[in-house]
Amino acid sequence: MQVRPSGFGNPWLQLALSVVCVLVSELLLKRGATDTADLESAWSWTGINGLASPLVWWAIILIIASFISWLYVLRYIPLTIAFPLSRVVDILVPLSCWFFLGEFISARRWIGIGLVVIGLALVAKPIAGIEERL
Amino acid sequence: MTFLSFFFIVTSLLSFVVAQLILKRVMVSVAESGFHNLRFISSVAVGIFLMTISFFLTLGLLQRFDLSYLYPFQGLSVIIITLMAAVMLKERLTLQLTIGALLISAGIVLVSLS
Repeated sequence: MQVRPSGFGNPWLQLALSVVCVLVSELLLKRGATDTADLESAWSWTGINGLASPLVWWAIILIIASFISWLYVLRYIPLTIAFPLSRVVDILVPLSCWFFLGEFISARRWIGIGLVVIGLALVAKPIAGIEERL
Repeated sequence: MTFLSFFFIVTSLLSFVVAQLILKRVMVSVAESGFHNLRFISSVAVGIFLMTISFFLTLGLLQRFDLSYLYPFQGLSVIIITLMAAVMLKERLTLQLTIGALLISAGIVLVSLS
């Protein structure tokens, strides 16, 4: 195993950065997609008309940023750990939809969010051991 | 949900999963044996191409469904990618990791069903 950089190069920090970029980009995409929705056109299944929204372009910039961070993360952290952890975004997204976009979260969704949190804790627990091995 | 929307959701999911496996493989080889220009660029290009397909399909789906309903389908990718990484990339998979990944996937599916 190679030496793992610290500071800004810390792969765990980059993982967090990647998650935040994805979260914000998803919210921007939903706003942009809603603004440009044209359900009559068959082409709209490709989503290409979403490019008319500037919000979608901001989202694309964030996605590229998250992608670069993610490639960096992949260099240092096994996919079996990095990927499940990156899905913390899957509960942050519904929570933000509820908070920022006013979407509704049912009881079943809250239970689902709870399960994800437990799963994340299970995946995150062996990290201490991995850090020692590195 | 129509058959068409289901088809696009699955296609988007699969192209995303394959892209992740390709990217992880190329980054591991960079870490282990250094930077090989041609192989690196072509693998990353394939990964980006697959993620782009996934991206635009998602955008098309977002015009039809709530984000909080649609997005969590990607949650299935957690258990799929975890298992595939163990099988195809020979990563070590503990019981705890598997259960954790399963719970995350189950939770995300629950979120998407409601």
